[in-house]
Amino acid sequence: MEPIIQELSDLRQQLRKDEVWRDVDFSDLLNDTMRTPRPEDSGHYTFHCNIPMLDTYSIVVENGFCNADLVETEEGIIMGSLRKAMQTYPDLVAKGLDHTPGDNAYRQFNKAHYSDGAFVYVPARCSARKPLQFISMHTAEASLLVQTRNVVVVEDDSQLTLIHCDDTTNTQRSFANNVTEIVAGRNAHIEHYKMQNLNDQSGLLSQTFTSLQEAASLLSVAITFNGGYICNHAEVIMDGEHCSTEVHGLYLNDKEQRVDNYVFVDHRKPNCHSHELYKGILDDSAHGTFNGHVLVDEGAAKTEAYMSNRNILLTDKATVYTKPFLEIYNDDVKCSHGSTIGQMDDDAMFYLRSRGISQRSARTLLLYAFCDEVVEKIQLTTLRTRLSDMIKQRLHGNLTACSDCVLGCNMPCGCSNSMFDIDTSLL
Amino acid sequence: MSLLSIRNLHASIGDKEILKGVNLEINRGEVHSIMGPNGNGKSTLAGVIAGNPKYTVTAGEIIYKDKNILEMPVDVRAAEGIFLGFQYPVEIPGVSITNFMRTAINEQRKYRGLDPMNAAEFLKLMEEKKKVVEMTTKLANRSVNEGFSGGEKKKNEIFQMAMLDPTLAILDETDSGLDIDALRIVASGVNQLRRPDNATIVITHYQRLLDYIVPDYVHILFEGRIVKTGPKELALRLEKEGYEWIRKEMQ
Repeated sequence: MEPIIQELSDLRQQLRKDEVWRDVDFSDLLNDTMRTPRPEDSGHYTFHCNIPMLDTYSIVVENGFCNADLVETEEGIIMGSLRKAMQTYPDLVAKGLDHTPGDNAYRQFNKAHYSDGAFVYVPARCSARKPLQFISMHTAEASLLVQTRNVVVVEDDSQLTLIHCDDTTNTQRSFANNVTEIVAGRNAHIEHYKMQNLNDQSGLLSQTFTSLQEAASLLSVAITFNGGYICNHAEVIMDGEHCSTEVHGLYLNDKEQRVDNYVFVDHRKPNCHSHELYKGILDDSAHGTFNGHVLVDEGAAKTEAYMSNRNILLTDKATVYTKPFLEIYNDDVKCSHGSTIGQMDDDAMFYLRSRGISQRSARTLLLYAFCDEVVEKIQLTTLRTRLSDMIKQRLHGNLTACSDCVLGCNMPCGCSNSMFDIDTSLL
Repeated sequence: MSLLSIRNLHASIGDKEILKGVNLEINRGEVHSIMGPNGNGKSTLAGVIAGNPKYTVTAGEIIYKDKNILEMPVDVRAAEGIFLGFQYPVEIPGVSITNFMRTAINEQRKYRGLDPMNAAEFLKLMEEKKKVVEMTTKLANRSVNEGFSGGEKKKNEIFQMAMLDPTLAILDETDSGLDIDALRIVASGVNQLRRPDNATIVITHYQRLLDYIVPDYVHILFEGRIVKTGPKELALRLEKEGYEWIRKEMQ
């Protein structure tokens, strides 16, 4: 085993008593055949996004390396490889790199070993004309440990929509330890949509650290379609008044898959709002955890914070651990938290079936309805429509780790043999 | 040959036997009312005919259109024309009524070997059937029964019945929770749907509904059996004297 892989595997021992990390265990994913990527592993893949009507800027990080040149768009956005940006725009990179609070051993490890990643800089008073699509792809015919680092800086009064796809196109076992930092200036508004679709052997630790200045907002929606072990770790610090944070997640896992979601939101200043809604459907022997923590600091009066985690377990063997947690040091706040774990609603099933709807369709209809509450948070209509199609395919078991790019977007729903014809525009 | 023929039907929920030998014959064109005290098996009978999996049939048979339906899944019974109007319609957040009905109609059409109904045809049908229950609200964006008042839920049941055009409709306490205006609208909806080739079972506690939906027969379901069958006047006697005389007669 390469020493670095052994080292990563050993981190578990250090973190056994850490409340946040104690259940996280990647050691099964890390093995002798795994190696770190080499520059020649990348450059073979050409990205085409097949989502209709979705016009984006794109940055591809293939097996840990970003080969494209740095680009400056008409509106003044700079994007491209982080390593190259560190050479060309060191001052701009310094505004984001290591600028977000939050520390842990995996972040440290990434900092020490990352190969490359994406850098995005949106100058002040600038609205990106198109969403930025950032694709992190594992394509190699080798078992890789990939560590990428992404830095996003959005200056005052600017807006950016980020579509962030984590995919494997191979069947090799891979593991990614990725860190994304997002620094938002005053009145900056960021939408961050994450889609994760890995093969059943692969693992991903995706950490996102965001800091918001006064009146800034973050809307984040993460959809986990598939993957051996996906661990999402999100920390948001609201460091100015009148900030808004929405961090939502949807996870659909089956077989022996495992999915963890950790979210931490820190209300440091008064008059901020936060909302977390995480929903999941677990089938077969899948296992999920939700660990949510909202911290309201002493000075953060007039805070509004709401956290909710809801789960459906489809079998007796599927399990979920959930811990929504509020820590409040101010009296003048409105906060709530809750979680539910349930099964398919028998009464609702009978109601639908008594109208002639088959068991399969009734099940899809109910499960889709459950997911829709998260999907409707997505503001980008073209993306929302396509994702809802893919969720339906996933619920039918038709969506496997893809053969081409993001989640098999090129397979429109309905061309599969499903009889479930549902017009999402009416939902 | 009758449309529905129930013979010696026994059914239980868990270990508890609720139906203890029900016999019932229903012909096309007829309206039957089933009355009886609470907890004597009225809703169970409705649920068993519709195929609710929470009940176990331990003996007897239900023959509908010359087929034994006990072997049929719930959705096949519905596609064969059996409709249950729920006493407590279920709220289904996230599923719009439009999609619910469109899926239901098209799955039933598929069972009958028909092509799916196109969107324009469907929307026209919906507008037409909304009139049956004087429904004025826009349904397209509302989730099934979510946030509906008691009256709206029951109107929605009759609306669904109108959309699906069943051969045998079973209305389980459709009058409960209705004010007098809603009761009139719901009853009028049921009457509009009445035809010589279909039949309706009205389960109710109160004679009041039967002023609007006039039954051909009234059955009394008591302790898991139909113990008395008579003309609509039987309901008037129950209204006046309660069920005590039945209990005495039984002893």
